[in-house]
Amino acid sequence: MGINQLSTLEHILITTKVEKVMNWSRATSVWPVTFGLACCAIEMMAAGASRFDFDRFGAGIFRATPRQADLMIVAGTVTYKMAPIIKTLYDQMPEPKWVIAMGSCATAGGPFDSYHTVQGVDKVIPVDVYIPGCPPRPESLIYGFMKLQDKIMTSSLADRYKDIFEEVG
Amino acid sequence: MSEPVVPETPQVPEPEAPSGPYVYDYAASPQRQIVMPKTVPLPSLRTYQAEVKAAAEADEAKWVKMQADFETAKAKAEAEGKDAPKPPVRPVPRKDDNDMKTPWPQEAKDADLLRLQECLGAKVEEIFEQAGELTCQVAKESILEALQLCRQDAQLNYEMLADETATHYPAATGFAFSVVYHLTSISRRKRLRLRILVPEGFQPETACAVYPGANWMEREIYDMLGIRFANHPDMTRILCPEDWEGYPLRKDYPTVGLGQRDIAFREDRGGMLERIALQKAGQLGINLKQPKAD
Amino acid sequence: MFKNEEMEINLGPQHPSTHGVLRVKLRLDGETITHCRPMIGYLHRGVEKICENQTFFQGQVWTDRMDYCSAVANNLGWAEANEKLFGITVPRRAQYIRTMLNEFNRLASHLIWLATHALDIGAMTVFLYAFREREDILDMNEAFCGSRLTTTAFRIGGLREDLPPGFEKMVQKFLAKFPSCLEEYENLLNENRIWKKRTIGVAKLGAEDAIAMGVTGPVLRAAGVPYDIRKAFPYAAYAEMDFEVPTRTEADTYARYLVRMDEMRQSARIIQQCMDGMPEGPVMAKLPKILKAEVNEVYHATEAPKGEIGYYLVGEKGSSNPYRFHVRAPGFINLQSLPKMAEGGLIADIVAAIGTLDIVLGEIDR
Ligand code: SF4
Repeated sequence: MGINQLSTLEHILITTKVEKVMNWSRATSVWPVTFGLACCAIEMMAAGASRFDFDRFGAGIFRATPRQADLMIVAGTVTYKMAPIIKTLYDQMPEPKWVIAMGSCATAGGPFDSYHTVQGVDKVIPVDVYIPGCPPRPESLIYGFMKLQDKIMTSSLADRYKDIFEEVG
Repeated sequence: MSEPVVPETPQVPEPEAPSGPYVYDYAASPQRQIVMPKTVPLPSLRTYQAEVKAAAEADEAKWVKMQADFETAKAKAEAEGKDAPKPPVRPVPRKDDNDMKTPWPQEAKDADLLRLQECLGAKVEEIFEQAGELTCQVAKESILEALQLCRQDAQLNYEMLADETATHYPAATGFAFSVVYHLTSISRRKRLRLRILVPEGFQPETACAVYPGANWMEREIYDMLGIRFANHPDMTRILCPEDWEGYPLRKDYPTVGLGQRDIAFREDRGGMLERIALQKAGQLGINLKQPKAD
Repeated sequence: MFKNEEMEINLGPQHPSTHGVLRVKLRLDGETITHCRPMIGYLHRGVEKICENQTFFQGQVWTDRMDYCSAVANNLGWAEANEKLFGITVPRRAQYIRTMLNEFNRLASHLIWLATHALDIGAMTVFLYAFREREDILDMNEAFCGSRLTTTAFRIGGLREDLPPGFEKMVQKFLAKFPSCLEEYENLLNENRIWKKRTIGVAKLGAEDAIAMGVTGPVLRAAGVPYDIRKAFPYAAYAEMDFEVPTRTEADTYARYLVRMDEMRQSARIIQQCMDGMPEGPVMAKLPKILKAEVNEVYHATEAPKGEIGYYLVGEKGSSNPYRFHVRAPGFINLQSLPKMAEGGLIADIVAAIGTLDIVLGEIDR
């Protein structure tokens, strides 16, 4: 009987690391903040709409406020006038947070090598995943998002806060 | 067994490997260069006619010279007892085989332009038609009068100001900018272009009193080219931030700007520190935003 | 007796209902807007300056990215303005294909407008429906020029390629199903009580004000002025098409909605006519490899989905770059009338006012 009990326990018990569970739950319910800046935002909307259905990846709930979001998809051109606002919004997001730079504008300035365009959002905030394209197709966005999920799954809490711990000593 | 003869492969010198990775030369990129225009491309019937006349005269002079050359060559050949050279053929302009027909400026025949000239008299500097568009250049002081006439005159009746913009002509003498107004008459299905030429520092009268829609267009002109409009209700920058330096659409402004875009916000919350620093520096009369010489 | 206090609030630039990065400063007395000041420039990318440094052929790429919901309409204006500058005649077949693609683009743009406008006001379902049909149009864009959104569809002097094989079938399939889709949206909205409450009588802009402010497009037509550049100054193949210009007189948000819905029907009609009367022949005019301008200036306006889009070009003798490139963006001028629409109304209605103008910040800021 004892043996029997053990096998049922085996079926209902999963042993894993806390970190892994947390990563798994984070990776499958990433809530992006709506942050459409330019043309790429239209493709982001298309990714969320009927044909591509971003919801399948647990990322369909676009939040209007950064305080409820984990992911910022910077979709579009970052300008000199907009850069401080992006920084403010990023600072308002709770940890842990991720950033996807969507499109060549957010990656490196894209076709706009001009006086008012910041050449890439990484001059303003740190970026996790870059998606090239002008605009990237919704499939590319989804692929980039899956890469981000991989990144979240392999991340460890210790790594994330290592710098801070070291600084504090 | 004899060894198979291996034909000697000729030694091909390997292409020289580039010394280091390919680096895009930003300093030489066309976006960084300021190419000041040398001509004044201001469409005008008068200059066109003058040009045509000058070209015709030059052509004629060339022909005369060719004939004279021929005469001397013939005389020389006769004196030396050789065969006479071939008489010259007047060159005809080559005809291009394509579907392009360049629209040249033409005499104004349209009733609207004539009416404008009749009403404004000497204030009209030039009227002409080109590519099916009517252009009327008026004196810079009387633009408001011209706009009022176009709006209120029953024969003209241009109800809408479709567009207002300006162009920088650094190579011109006597003026620096042209400001153009594109008027549309919805009821009569007509378009008209009014144009004034303004020197640097001159403040043309605003069109807001006649066409309220001119408000933002004039703000944009001020933002992009630095022409201020007199009596404008709100003469502030519209696209660039208030503290922007320079007027981007002037020809002497580099496309990549004066270095404003190379901001380093990463370590600086919301750019607050940088803004404060810039402000402080500005109070002390230091310009931190100037690019470093490279 | 009561304290009378005014409050100033700031809408945007990151706000889901501002369609991008528009910022509006509002002064409120209770819930009533007493003062409204739109602030723009958060997406100013310097398109005009860049295009002055590019050749005539290259510049089209940047026009795609101005009004990114209706790239084809921008391309058409650009190509025609250049053709006017050089005096180029475009073959008739190219004109027909241009007209057809332009109308498809109008459908796509109006569908985006419908989706986002309804979403702002609270009707989520329409969003999903409208994007479903829009994807079909994007598929056709892709079949024709290989890109979904930033099309660069035309060339100066005509088209780069003829229609791909199988295109006609796609068009017919789309046209067969589109009327029923329009009915679907109308079933959802036309008699919807919330929709009507939030749109009828909201954000009025009369004909006189609209003309004085230079407003064009569906906003002007909903005020009873039948001004459509396709009829008034025909371009491309519009002179040969048979279509109506829908107008309304109520000049409110609901009237604009109806005008746009009718416009979509007319667009479908034009597409059908283009398909039926498509002439044979070449699609590209004979041009030199490098276009060199003469001294000339042109202003060419076409009817984009948002209103009159005008290109002002100045050519310099012997130069293959435009000396001056300026865009009269319909959104820029239309947005100017936002204070007129919103002042005196409720704060909740500004969302409807912004939505009904159908603004795209990319072309407003350029
Ligand atoms: S990458 Fe291309 S499509 Fe995306 S915002 Fe920039 S210009 Fe627009």
